[in-house]
Formats: sequence, structure tokens, C-alpha cells
Amino acid sequence: MPRWMVGLLLAIVGAAAGIAYGRLVAPVQYVDTVPASLRIDYRTDYVLMVAERFHADHDAETAMQQLSLLGAQSADAVSGEALAFARSVSYAGPDLALLEELNRAMQALAPLPSPVRTP
Amino acid sequence: MRRPLVVWLAALILGLALGLTYAWVIAPGNSGGTAPSSLRPDFRDDYRSAIAAAYAATGDLQRAKARLELLGDADPVSALGAQAQRALAAGQSFEHAQELARLASDLQAGRPSIFASTVTAAIPPSPTLTATLEPAFDLTSTVAVMTASPQAVFTLPPAATGTRVVSPTRTVMPSPAAQFQLTSRDEVCDPALPAGLLQITVFDKDNHPLPGVDITITWDQGEERFFTGYQPEISDGYADYVMQPGTAYSVKVTRLGVPVSALSAPTCPGTGGQSFTGGLKLSFKEP
Repeated sequence: MPRWMVGLLLAIVGAAAGIAYGRLVAPVQYVDTVPASLRIDYRTDYVLMVAERFHADHDAETAMQQLSLLGAQSADAVSGEALAFARSVSYAGPDLALLEELNRAMQALAPLPSPVRTP
Repeated sequence: MRRPLVVWLAALILGLALGLTYAWVIAPGNSGGTAPSSLRPDFRDDYRSAIAAAYAATGDLQRAKARLELLGDADPVSALGAQAQRALAAGQSFEHAQELARLASDLQAGRPSIFASTVTAAIPPSPTLTATLEPAFDLTSTVAVMTASPQAVFTLPPAATGTRVVSPTRTVMPSPAAQFQLTSRDEVCDPALPAGLLQITVFDKDNHPLPGVDITITWDQGEERFFTGYQPEISDGYADYVMQPGTAYSVKVTRLGVPVSALSAPTCPGTGGQSFTGGLKLSFKEP
């Protein structure tokens, strides 16, 4: 076997060992993160919590405030994203219904887009 | 012969460095997002509040428990109790603090104390939601609350890896609200303790300390409300208050509890003929 090939193989073995160590033995630890960085399934569950509460009290202001925790997106975008994910992983019917109810309420509160004047 | 060895070693080290750079910098493991356990403490409080608010709306204790586990608190009950106290101290609404405290209390008791009402007629009916809730309890009783779980199928958050079925249960459960009884009342003459310290410990019927129980202290000029569980290092069911000498207090465990009146800081004999203000220790138990 040519020497350069041995070197290449050793480099590949080293890279594999480095990835394994960095992923399995000492993976990156996230601390003090913000809710906007939550994984989509956790974000969806958070929106579901808001939806459960909203279903009970119909307090849209509080629901909007709670959804704003998930980032700069509008409340209807956040709830829409959660609803889409919940549908994609087949959330149970009652949970989907709660998310749809919240999404409808947030869409109703969303500011209308400015009318575009056409010539 | 030595030179190839050096080159091979360098290749191995270079590969290792590239691998680590890839794993830690270019594509770290959680690039899809983080978990609730990594949230900053104030956001963890927000997340916990959302769990408690959802629980207050649904009464689904199992789901609340599963969600709390995502936060990775060593002791979720204590965390909830402490947050309830912080909320009160920060001037947040009592209702908000009460939601946190109630969840702590129900987790400790292992049973919900509120009526589960996840889905009502406002939601399109689902075939799995066929349970009708009949008034099978005495509506005239002020101390009874009903817990019921409509048949519901839901995915386990957040991984949605399976479904759970909650069978309909309907239980008339005595509310802890009016049933705690004073089991002991002792004067404490310990100069090492703060003068006038009123120590309250609340236990459930199995003698386990109960966090998140609403305590109301009243006196002729005011009232203060707080919860047990703020000092879990003493006991999950513990709460205290410093009484002013010469003032008579009344303590009520939960809003509907029977007040224990005429409580005041005792005068204790000290060394050298000097007296000092002692404290009181009260224990309440759910029968």
C-alpha cells in the first residue's frame, strides 16, 4: 500500500474518532438558551399549552403574550407553524382542534396586510 | 523510516482535529434546536408557568408531569413551590402563584384536584371524546370538587412517539381546602430562632409534607398569603412567618379552612432572669 494512502486512511480514522468523540463522548452542551431556539417539537408542545389555556379562558391577549416568548415571529405565524408540525406528526384530534382554535384566534387578531394599489 | 511515522501521526491528528471541528463547530448535535432543560432560568420559569396554566385549564396531571420532566428539575415539586413564592414576592397575581402551587401540591399528592375539561363542545367532536359528564356529586357541598378525565387520546409530547389513552374517571374527592386539621400547637422557646417565628407544617393524610398549600395569616391590620414548600431544605410542607409581639394572629390553611385564632408570640424565660420572645409551631394534617 502506498504511504500516502496509509496517511489518508489514518486521517479518515482520526476524523471519524473526532466526530465520535465530539458527538457521543463530549457533545456540545447548550446552556441558558432562549425559547426561540427550542426544537420544533418542544415549540409545538409549548404552543399546545397556550392553546389548552386559551380554550379555557379565551384570553387572546395573554395567549399572544405567551406566544411572543417563542421569538420575533407574529403570534399567528408561531401558532400556524405549530399546527403544521402537529399535523405532520399526527397529533391526536383533540390537540389538533385546540391548536386550530388558537391559530384561528391569532389569525383574527393579526394585522391585515396593507392594500396594494394597482394601476 | 522515522519520517513516514511522523507524517502518519500528523495525518491522524489532523483528521482528529477536523472531526472535532465538524462535531463541535460546523454541525453540533442539536442543530435542530434545543431542549427546555437548557433554557435560561427566567425562561424556565415562563415554561413552568405555561405548564401550570395548562394544567389549571385541563387538570391533566400526567401530561403536566411529563412536561415538567422536560425541564430536568431535580425536584419539580420544590421548583414549583419556590416559583410560586417568587411570583408572590414579585407582586404577580395570586392566581398565577396559585396555579403553580396547586400543581406542586397535586404532584405531591399524586392526584389532580381540579376538574379536567380539556375539550368541550366548542371543539369539533372527536369519536374518542364520548364521555358525558353527569353531575354525580353533591353540588351543594362546598368542600367537594370533582375530578374527571374525559376519554382522550393524545400524543406524548414532544416526541409524538405513541398514544396514551386516559380512561374516563370520575371521582368525588374531598378538597384539601376545608379539611386540614390542626394536630399540634407548641410554643417554641429557642433563642437561636428569630423572635416571634411562626412555623407551620402541613401534612397529607399519609403524613407526607404537602407543598403548595395556601396559607392565610390575618391580624387586626392586615393579611398575608403564602404557600408551603418555599424552604424544601426544612420540609416540603413547611412555611413560616414572623409575628410581631403583642399582636394576635389567625391562621387559615387554604381559603376555606377553619381559622386557628388567638395566636401570638409567647414570652419565654431566658437566662439571668431576662425573658425573650419565642415562637409557635403548628402542624396541620389532612384527615
